[in-house]
Amino acid sequence: MIVCSNCKQVNMTGAMFCAECGALLAGKDSPITHPLTTDKHKTVIKKSSGDLYQPFGGSDTWGSLHLIETGQVLPLSERNEFTMGRISEDQPIMPDIDLSPYQAYDAGVSRLHAVIKREGARVTCMDLGSANGTYVNGKRLSSNVEEIIHHRDIVALGKMKIQILIKY
Amino acid sequence: MPPSKPDYYEVLGVFRDAPQEDIKRAYIESAQRLHPDKNIAPGETELFLETQQAYEVLSNPKRRNLYDATLPPEIEVSSVIKHEVSFSRPSLMQLNEPQLIYALLEVSPREQKEKISSSPLNICLILDRSTSMQGDKLDFVKATAVQLLRSLRPEDVLSVVAFSDRAEVIVPASLELNKKKHEERIRMMQASGATEIYKGLQAGIKEIRRTLDASRVNHMILLTDGKTYGDEQACLKLAEEAAAQHIGITAMGIGHEWNDIFLDALAGKTGGSSAYISKPKDIERLLIDKFKALVKSYADEVLLEFKQQGHIKINYAFRIQPEGGFIEVESPIHLGPILQDTALHVLFEFLVNPDALDGDVLTLLDGSIKTSIMARPRPVPPIRLKLTRDIMQNPSVEAPPAQILNALSRLNLYRMQERARAAADAGQFDEAVRQLKNLATQLLSLGEHSLAKIALFEANHLEKSHTWSLAGNKDIKYSTRALLLSGDKEKAG
Repeated sequence: MIVCSNCKQVNMTGAMFCAECGALLAGKDSPITHPLTTDKHKTVIKKSSGDLYQPFGGSDTWGSLHLIETGQVLPLSERNEFTMGRISEDQPIMPDIDLSPYQAYDAGVSRLHAVIKREGARVTCMDLGSANGTYVNGKRLSSNVEEIIHHRDIVALGKMKIQILIKY
Repeated sequence: MPPSKPDYYEVLGVFRDAPQEDIKRAYIESAQRLHPDKNIAPGETELFLETQQAYEVLSNPKRRNLYDATLPPEIEVSSVIKHEVSFSRPSLMQLNEPQLIYALLEVSPREQKEKISSSPLNICLILDRSTSMQGDKLDFVKATAVQLLRSLRPEDVLSVVAFSDRAEVIVPASLELNKKKHEERIRMMQASGATEIYKGLQAGIKEIRRTLDASRVNHMILLTDGKTYGDEQACLKLAEEAAAQHIGITAMGIGHEWNDIFLDALAGKTGGSSAYISKPKDIERLLIDKFKALVKSYADEVLLEFKQQGHIKINYAFRIQPEGGFIEVESPIHLGPILQDTALHVLFEFLVNPDALDGDVLTLLDGSIKTSIMARPRPVPPIRLKLTRDIMQNPSVEAPPAQILNALSRLNLYRMQERARAAADAGQFDEAVRQLKNLATQLLSLGEHSLAKIALFEANHLEKSHTWSLAGNKDIKYSTRALLLSGDKEKAG
């Protein structure tokens, strides 16, 4: 092995550039078996992904969206209708729930993708003509047609899966 | 010039120890290309007869034995293609731990006396016209397509397919085209619908196949600004079929929302590359540059077939030139094209495990290089490629050759970017941020200030929001890739 003189990273014999800091290693082919320095910079502690809201925090929260991939829970409160999508820089479209912080681009979420509505005890989801479709428990919805959804249903916006939690 | 009595093995483009099935396959391929029913080039009927004669002899074991006895000893020199390999170290070391070694393979045309004429083109432009292309993007695409159509030589074929969630042939593949009428059809293209790349590729390959000809540069250029959903596997399968027919694919992504990993894999199946068009106004320049490169094609494909050696792994392969690009390391490897003025350079990283170090010499790779050259009606004899290194007790003191060091130092930046991305994808943002900051440091030391700034900006963005900025990862990826090429040009110039 070769120890990088710049950052003390241990590299394989024959490596030409340090896999950590990118410094040139070549010409240091001699396999000096340095003791592994107990350097602090190697131990990377992964932060817990995002702060978890209390699913049913406020008193007027009637439900929440549980983003399966990233683990966040977004509360639905104060209003009875929420559009979901992602804020776009060059267009004046502002969904009520902006999913762009949660890799919405990569998941294929449209700018204005779908809407969730509550009417009494009935909760519905409607696709707003999104490019990649809205699915409820795997079934693709027709655009602009309301579909009744229930507690624990999985709604997918493109590839972004969201579990619906409804407080009855 | 070919000798008066041709070597039958050379006529079919096979090794002298080729098994019967290889000989048969080579004959069928050759016969399809040279058959008098479809071939009009003067002199090629003679070549066809020669091919038939060669096959008649070599397919009969008795006659083959008799023929072999008359052959002069084999000279392992290809008359058409030459290759060179350099290594990062002259020898491997007897060690109880895994070690790395790098090899740079250069494949180029053998010295040509007369100037090589450019091969005719058979190109299909596959244009995304989904809703998001509306405006500048589609306008530039249309204008460039019209310009390319006008610039064609009489022997060239250019077809145009537009797709969204369905595909439409705008300009069919044909040698007799009413250009005026088809220019008008290009101008009439409207944006609407979603992006389904498979639909576009399917229609595109159909057009290419209408005028498919081994003497042409057969190539599809995909232009898209979006992601495709659910049909990725079908697309990759189609790319494999295209590769089997020597149809190349270049994939160009406009803006920030397309999937570069997927387009890299798609083009990579054929030895092609993906390209990043950050601003709509660059569409024209990049598309025209691509056309120029295709006109300069010498070999449309270089294929490396090999058997996996025990305890040795090809960790990584990257095409340094003519177009920097990701290479999949499953045999056969599509290495990429050779241009008339640009050799093919591919860098390999081998991981050697201690168990492989048995004896004095180690074979890193045992295989052959196959090329298909459009301007040559006859198959190109394959070249054997055997990479070996001595195994020594002591480390070598020799400095690595300059061309390897130069190529690796550029690739190093690209790989740092890749590592940052892999870390971010795995949710290890601290690691990704650290790699990006290290990349910025290296870029600064090389005088690449603006790119270093971008890397630092992205590091901060990742640290704060745990996502890349809109353009972020693509800007860094394709800029570090571009550095690879500029590095090589400096060396050449």
